[in-house]
Amino acid sequence: MTAAIEIDGLSKVYTKRKSPPVIAVDDLSLSIPAGQIFGFLGSNGAGKTTTIKMACGLVLPTGGSVRLHGFDVQRQRGQAMRQIGAVLEGTRNVYWRLTAWQNLLYFGRIKGVTGQPLKERAERLLRELELWERRNDPVRDFSRGMQQKVAIACALVADPPIVLLDEPTLGLDVKAGRTVKRWVEQLARNEGKTVVLTTHQMDLAESLCDQVAIMSQGKLIANRPTGELLGLFRQEGYELRFRGKIEESVAARFEGFSPREENGHTILSGTISEHGRLYRLLEIAEIQGLELLGVAQADPNLEEIFVELLDRAGKGEHSPAHPMNGRLPHATIREVI
Amino acid sequence: MALAGTVVVNEIQKRFILLWAYKFNFFTQMFMIGFIFVGISFFMAGGQPNPEMLASGLVGYLVWFFALAAISDMSWGIREETQTGTLEQMYMSPLPTGVLMLGRSIASLFISILMVGMSAVVLVLALGVSLPITWTALPVFLLTMAGLYGFAFILGGATLVFKQVEALANMMQNVLLFLNGALLPVDRLPGWMEAFAKTLPTTQGIIVLRRVILDGQSLAQVWQDGSLVGLVINSAIYFVVGWFFFRWCENRARRLGALGQY
Ligand SMILES: Nc1ncnc2c1ncn2[C@@H]1O[C@H](COP(=O)(O)OP(=O)(O)O)[C@@H](O)[C@H]1O
Ligand SMILES: [Mg+2]
Repeated sequence: MTAAIEIDGLSKVYTKRKSPPVIAVDDLSLSIPAGQIFGFLGSNGAGKTTTIKMACGLVLPTGGSVRLHGFDVQRQRGQAMRQIGAVLEGTRNVYWRLTAWQNLLYFGRIKGVTGQPLKERAERLLRELELWERRNDPVRDFSRGMQQKVAIACALVADPPIVLLDEPTLGLDVKAGRTVKRWVEQLARNEGKTVVLTTHQMDLAESLCDQVAIMSQGKLIANRPTGELLGLFRQEGYELRFRGKIEESVAARFEGFSPREENGHTILSGTISEHGRLYRLLEIAEIQGLELLGVAQADPNLEEIFVELLDRAGKGEHSPAHPMNGRLPHATIREVI
Repeated sequence: MALAGTVVVNEIQKRFILLWAYKFNFFTQMFMIGFIFVGISFFMAGGQPNPEMLASGLVGYLVWFFALAAISDMSWGIREETQTGTLEQMYMSPLPTGVLMLGRSIASLFISILMVGMSAVVLVLALGVSLPITWTALPVFLLTMAGLYGFAFILGGATLVFKQVEALANMMQNVLLFLNGALLPVDRLPGWMEAFAKTLPTTQGIIVLRRVILDGQSLAQVWQDGSLVGLVINSAIYFVVGWFFFRWCENRARRLGALGQY
């Protein structure tokens, strides 16, 4: 089966007179299976938006290609565009002076849908997004969250199998963000759509995405199923709980672990990357006569992982990004990241 | 064909709604433009314009009115849509981009025809001039518009790539008003300026339109005296050059990531 999105050796270098070239996307390869919610994470300037826009045919790649359900965005533009709808970052995406209904009809026709099917589709979308009652109000009178919903509805009006959402919850209040999130979830789960979203809200990616790719400086520094990415680091974070206070000199023997006190206990937390380490640490504890209350795996969230990965990427610890799509056996994961 | 029709009707509908949303602006502008014409004509005729002069001026002025709209649609209009992201949404259409752009231009022309038509009626009635428009004028008018939109495409393309072309667009609107023969016939300009003026869009169109509308000449007549030939050549060059330049700029904008705001 062909992937919904197949990115192959994609790169983009922005060149402008009077300024040095910017490598926004650097030899990115990636394949996103159909029906997935895929998250692109990365700090500002990582190249997420550029990648999305290249998939939309709005930015011409310097090299490489994007295929949407097998259709090359450059060479088979028409068919490729039928595969996607997109809500882009930081802009209105729709006409604020038109009503929600007028926007849907206008963009529907632009996307090649007409007549009764268009009207039915528009009505369904507006009802599902709870905008039907206000379909005849100009979009400019809507709340930010509703405006974003209209933009999403317009992206979906031609019923494309792939939806690209660039920072869909940016600038939304918590409630609106939640509605958008629920809707995205429903799109993938009930309608089988492939949803690609970029965000720098880790909690959103964590709770929503099946797979997460982390970008940094145009490169992929991780690309794994969300659970696996979390699990990977869950193994590493440990907390050792001891009764009573521990002197600093003693705590220092637990290299790489930092102590904190909680309810009269001392908790040493740190990461363990090699199997035997835990046992050696417990040995030290025994020798020091500490009373062990428990050993727990700490639960890092995506945010911590993200920071950690960026850290490592910054130190040049990662090998060039290998888009393995999580197919690698566990033992070699470290090298992949 | 059906596709092109849908695109055109879709664009016209959108333009109407937007026009209505900005109706206050719109009517103020129409009034201003009409008022300026009356002012200028009286001024140039030393307070006593004769109907013949007014009619001749009006033909030129109305054509300039079209130029005003075409240029602003292609520069300010496109610039605004790069900022709102609606242009990017348009470029994500599976339909051929050329069809969409042509659709926009036809819609723009259609709206202009209504606007200018309304102003023309008001001015004709208010000033008591006669403007005996016949079907002969239609092909001449369309040729003039083809050249004008070609010219506007050049500004539109430049807008995509360079963004800041408002000043240039504004200047072109004024240059056209004074050099396209709307107010004073170009043959009264110094020789070098006349030559330059005749390379501009609409200048030749206005000349031929006056002959056809005001002097009642036939298409054959204006063809034989060479003025229609000049118009065909001028418009064809502008349209072809403008069109391909615009397409080239689209590509350049894609390379620069400039179809949207950045
Ligand atoms: N149109 C453009 N022209 C020049 N540089 C750009 C353009 N768009 C993005 N960039 C640069 O490319 C890099 C990646 O930007 P972007 O794709 O917007 O990243 P993200 O969406 O992850 O924040 C940044 O350094 C940004 O400054
Ligand atoms: Mg971005």
